[in-house]
Amino acid sequence: MQDLSLDELAALDEDGFRRHVRGWIEANYPLEVRHPTRRLHWHENRPWYLALSRKGWLTPGWPREYGGMGLDAARQLVMIEEMERFGAARVNDMGLVMLGPMLIRHASEEQKRRFLPRILSGEDIWCQGYSEPNAGSDLAALRLDAADEGDHWVLNGQKTWITLANDANWIFVLARTNKGGRKQEGISFLLLPMDSPGVTVRPIVNLDLHDEFCEVFFDNVRVPKDMVVGEVDKGWNYAKALLGFERIAIGSPKLSSSGLARLRALAAAMGKDKEPAFLDSYARFSMELADLKALYESYVERLKRGEPIGPDVSILKIVQTELFQRITDAMLEIAGGNAGLLEPMEEGLHPAGSFLLARPSTIFGGSSEILRNILARSVLDLPA
Amino acid sequence: MPATATEERAEALRMIRDSAAVVVPPDGGLGRVRGLRFTLPGIDPAVWRSMGAMGWIGLRLPEEAGGAGLGMAEACALLEELGRALVPEPLVAGALSARLLAAGGDTALLPALLAGESLVLTAWQQSADSLEAPGDREGARLFIPMAAAAQAFLLPVREGGALALYAVEGVRPETRRTQDGGHVGSLLPDLAAARRVAPNVGEAMALALDEAALGTAAYLLGLMERCFAMTLDYLRQRQQFGKPLGSFQALQHRAADLKIQLVLTRASVEGAAAELDAGATGDARRALVSRAKARAAEAAMRVTREAVQLHGAIGYTDEYDIGLFLRKAMVIANAFGSAALHRARYMRCASHPGAA
Repeated sequence: MQDLSLDELAALDEDGFRRHVRGWIEANYPLEVRHPTRRLHWHENRPWYLALSRKGWLTPGWPREYGGMGLDAARQLVMIEEMERFGAARVNDMGLVMLGPMLIRHASEEQKRRFLPRILSGEDIWCQGYSEPNAGSDLAALRLDAADEGDHWVLNGQKTWITLANDANWIFVLARTNKGGRKQEGISFLLLPMDSPGVTVRPIVNLDLHDEFCEVFFDNVRVPKDMVVGEVDKGWNYAKALLGFERIAIGSPKLSSSGLARLRALAAAMGKDKEPAFLDSYARFSMELADLKALYESYVERLKRGEPIGPDVSILKIVQTELFQRITDAMLEIAGGNAGLLEPMEEGLHPAGSFLLARPSTIFGGSSEILRNILARSVLDLPA
Repeated sequence: MPATATEERAEALRMIRDSAAVVVPPDGGLGRVRGLRFTLPGIDPAVWRSMGAMGWIGLRLPEEAGGAGLGMAEACALLEELGRALVPEPLVAGALSARLLAAGGDTALLPALLAGESLVLTAWQQSADSLEAPGDREGARLFIPMAAAAQAFLLPVREGGALALYAVEGVRPETRRTQDGGHVGSLLPDLAAARRVAPNVGEAMALALDEAALGTAAYLLGLMERCFAMTLDYLRQRQQFGKPLGSFQALQHRAADLKIQLVLTRASVEGAAAELDAGATGDARRALVSRAKARAAEAAMRVTREAVQLHGAIGYTDEYDIGLFLRKAMVIANAFGSAALHRARYMRCASHPGAA
């Protein structure tokens, strides 16, 4: 198949673009596993990451000047749909969908030149150090201590619920560089290698019996001063910007889309796909998914135009995660005795796994309850 | 689309929204709407004339047919504004008739309709929940909105494989009152007294019904936006236990959930309008319209129902305006097809990329 340049890709109409993406995925997907029912680790998804990297397709939404594809929202959606249709595995994408866009907007030119190419090449795999044992929903209460030692800070404290920290060689953290004033002030956004002396990682086994999350401990860890993004003590602003990107990333129709395809396959496997009750609930889910896609497109367009992402992005995150959960609830309902199986009932069909995979999405990245608080206060202007 | 074209389109939509002020009182008062409730003909002919003068009745028709040649996005923006104000004049139904007359090449009824000098309504519906015109020669035609205000009726009639269009004048349909203070009419087609306007308007009928369904969704969107804004105002002002109601988290979360419904409805309606304007036809058009109408109908019922609940006892009084929104939603949520009808149609028409 032809290897098209970005300009040639852009010149295709949407159908042609879709066919091209589909053909390339089918010809180049390097992994055995399709439609994985849990997050894969770096050692498992690395060949796919590198294939996308070589092709230049890792970051459909990044501007071209930073090595992205610079696609419009509709085509980004096509790429997501085709990846999900094929059942391509999710890669370690923290640098691609969260840190990268934040650096592009807020980091110094030097930091961009240093870090963005290494994300694109797969040399750097990032993880996110936000939550702490006593700073979850109340994130601004975080206490990871950064003591000023002249040309560097010294970190002491703990982060938790860090997705795939056991795969990462770099971490971005929110640390307290100043203890006076409001809790949102005095926070800085720092970057450091995971092999810095004093960093310890402990995996946490989740309900899915998978070590997707980790705790990370910091014991007198030195961080040079040039590893701060933006202004010192103003990290909360960048943290919020990054949370906006995170909510768009979680709001991507990926999971609901693949979930719905799995639901249909499951119904067929159970001989229930022609039953009116199934068809009616399937219709509802399909239409909600289509609405979610329309909403997602509108946020991706805003990103592309460089507009700030406001607190209303919470809506996108709530809609996606709650739809995904209801789809997986429905899986359990029609799976009969298979609902309780520990292993997939057959290849690519694991209702219990999908159900458990959907659980944390309404908790991480701002719980549904916190997001509704934010909507009420910041979008609807309801009183405190 | 280049930024300038996007901006031009946004400006056009702003202008059409602003133009709605002609029939929507700037103070947002619902006095006129209340005054027309449970009266006959139930609309203000002067307002209908100004709708004609503004070019709204023929908004979607090409300029050579006497229309304004505007898109579905503009039509939806306008209807949203009318929905905000609960305007009773039947613009969706009148525009549907204009489409059919234009498709049939009529010159007798169309000019006066487009000018708002007369109201022509289409008696297409033969069952309580439908978005298709069977065109039976003898079957009763039902649920004609604001029928007592019309000077003429159009009758689609099945003739072999074609859907012919007839027009009758001077008939008085039977009417039944509706919850919003309006009424619906029914009539038995009397083809002997009717004039045959065109031999086949089948395609125009299908398109007009889709546009009417999407337009109704836009009207519902405006209706629920205003109803929700009023509810938020109430939650900010009303004090209980020494605090504003809106400070209670249980109520904040319900308000947030309603906002989510509004945002999804807007994405669905505006997305469908944009795709229709970009040329979506056939099953793609039907799926887009059905998705938007199903969402709007369900969301409008939920928002207006919850608005009454969040207002407490005052919300259950006829005197307080919030109930007007619920009662209007009860009447038009199922107009041009209920949510259930549109879900079923969506399943027949949509392509399911995930299902491969």
